[in-house]
Amino acid sequence: MAVGLTVLVAGCGKGPQAEFSLREETTDLIPDAQKVVKATLKEKFGSPHELIAWQRFPVNYGGVKGSVTEVAAEAKSVVVEWEGDATQVAKDAPLIWVSGARAGEKTSVGSVATYDAAKKELTWTGGADPAPVAGDKLVIGFGKSLQTGRAIYMKNCMHCHGVSGDGNGPTAQYLNPLPRDYRTGVFKFTSTLGPEKPTRDDLNRVIKYGIPGTYMPSFLWLGDKETESVIEYIRWLAIRGEFESRVDNDLAGDFSQKTIEAAAAKAKANYDAAKGKEKPEKPQSSAAAKSAAKDKFAEYLKSDVPELIDGSAKFIAEAWAHSEDAESLIVPSVARVTDDAASRERGRRLYLSDKGKCYTCHGIQGRGDGAATEDFWKKPGSEEYYTKRGLHDTWGKPLQPRKLTLGQYRGGRRPVDIFRRVYAGIKGTPMPGFGRTALKDEEIWDVVNFVMSLQYEQTPTKAKATEHVVHSK
Amino acid sequence: MGRFWAVFFVATAVIAVAVSWFSPDLHWWFPGDGKAYSTLGRRIDDLFHLILVIVSITFVGTQAVLGYVLWRGATIKPDDKVLFSHGSHSLEVIWTIVPAGILLFIALYQMDVWAQYRMKSSSPAKTEAVAEVTARQFEWRIRYPARGKKLQPTPQPDDVYTVNELHVPTGRPVSISLRTDDVQHSFFVPELRVKQDAVPGLVIPVWFDVLERRTGNKAYELVCAELCGWGHYKMKARVFAESDEEFEQWRETIAGEQFDDGFKKAAE
Repeated sequence: MAVGLTVLVAGCGKGPQAEFSLREETTDLIPDAQKVVKATLKEKFGSPHELIAWQRFPVNYGGVKGSVTEVAAEAKSVVVEWEGDATQVAKDAPLIWVSGARAGEKTSVGSVATYDAAKKELTWTGGADPAPVAGDKLVIGFGKSLQTGRAIYMKNCMHCHGVSGDGNGPTAQYLNPLPRDYRTGVFKFTSTLGPEKPTRDDLNRVIKYGIPGTYMPSFLWLGDKETESVIEYIRWLAIRGEFESRVDNDLAGDFSQKTIEAAAAKAKANYDAAKGKEKPEKPQSSAAAKSAAKDKFAEYLKSDVPELIDGSAKFIAEAWAHSEDAESLIVPSVARVTDDAASRERGRRLYLSDKGKCYTCHGIQGRGDGAATEDFWKKPGSEEYYTKRGLHDTWGKPLQPRKLTLGQYRGGRRPVDIFRRVYAGIKGTPMPGFGRTALKDEEIWDVVNFVMSLQYEQTPTKAKATEHVVHSK
Repeated sequence: MGRFWAVFFVATAVIAVAVSWFSPDLHWWFPGDGKAYSTLGRRIDDLFHLILVIVSITFVGTQAVLGYVLWRGATIKPDDKVLFSHGSHSLEVIWTIVPAGILLFIALYQMDVWAQYRMKSSSPAKTEAVAEVTARQFEWRIRYPARGKKLQPTPQPDDVYTVNELHVPTGRPVSISLRTDDVQHSFFVPELRVKQDAVPGLVIPVWFDVLERRTGNKAYELVCAELCGWGHYKMKARVFAESDEEFEQWRETIAGEQFDDGFKKAAE
């Protein structure tokens, strides 16, 4: 597929035009760098009302692909063999030539002029020249799925998750915990290994069953097609956000205004402090430093930025594609160990052991009140501490370890769900993974059995020595 | 000018009656196809229709009298002699006793339906506790007992959970235990004429029976009928009324998924 970018025209737009918001890091860059980032985002992803489907990402943009099998005389019409459901092929459907002579910039985009479904014969707008030949590929209704997803998202999801999927919609200010910010590409409740993205099935489960204990409701009755298209849109938003984030991270090193100002201020402070003793060189002022950065960026733009854009897109595309592979999925290597008192006792011991250390966060009685909730923790990758006590997630918000006695499992209550939480941890949170390293699969099942029994534990005063009771004192 | 107002008020009454007459055809009537699908629901509908007939007759009667009085007043000639009246004691007695009698009749007539709905002594002796329905902002979390077990007030290890999907057997009285996790909600299935507020701190039994089997897209709609926050409008679920075999089968399927340990046996 030679076509890199395609412009999709928006559906009916009622109300004020929504715009994607930019990350704080983007607005912090020097003006020249900022302009480039904004322009790239606009060019590759478009705006909410004019989505652009960058084909290098593994997103199902929708539409049906076809391959030309016959060309009529004088290239008046073609017969096409379709890959999949061709019911959307009809008069006026948008048409894109993806390969062959017509795939050039000027002639690739058109629409279906007439279509005979019985003969699978199609005529197109835009003239017979250049003529298509057998083997040429085309796509009908490209991007329709993404547009449907956008419409459903704006109606149902945007008010919490925001137009850009930044978790900062109008309703978000009333919610605790906050809605997910997709732009890091990190999703908490997945069935995949630590570094992997979620699968479509993971997102499907969250949408269908909601997340108990949070404001994420169940959209069980949204409809299969609608749910599928919204999942693609959410993945697209996450991809867009992560792309912006990666480009920002690379550029922030040299071209962040805050960093430049801070460095200049520090240099000035050193200079002022050292004035009396030696005569060091007068450091650059903040404005001069920014001007130097501007020149440096002009160079960087030519030498490194194209590769930065390409590399970021490639990395993200591969990550999302890989998450659907079988090797990313966490599958227990043994069936669940029998859920009896012996297994739960083993699980309890692991919970309290140095191998698991679960109690440090989840508390000795599983009430989510472990010692770690009282400590001050450093921000990851820096020497700075969080201002509040206790644990935080990657989005910087305070996070309580789960109170296991509630029987409320946000990522799903199936045994395999809890197995996966213990095996790979919860992405974006301090919950670590114990699979393949600290705990064997049988041990993880013991822990799962113990954890799932905590909900039914009776209080010590009413304790009876039955199978279903495990005392954790 | 007086005549205009006389005609105006009579015309308003006529339009009101005409619109009400055609309402069912305009779909401004009961939800679904207009029929209730529970036994009690049908009795409630009968009460409704009875009261509608009584009220309609009263309305037409009083509006007709009003029209007559207005017209007489409008067409009175300046020379006509004025009638001095000290009121009519008998008329006042009549138009007090008759409405009082009608209201008393309605009050007594409906007691039976109310008692059947709300009082344990009059409700069906055997209702099967099918599920515990917990209302939550903004969804319905439902807990079923395992096959062959009775619903317990506290969660059991083999209970089956769903969200926004209530399955009940058809044709016999069932009950649900209604709770709420946060604020007041209300369990309302319009087509079954069942409504009960969910109050924080209480577990309220609600009984009903479903007369017609409905599954899939035709399932009965369950909506929240007590304003509970910004998501109240979308707090909907579906009630599937099935045969006993279907219900058991469905519960087995859900239990199988819920206790899935993800382990795939190697194909032999």
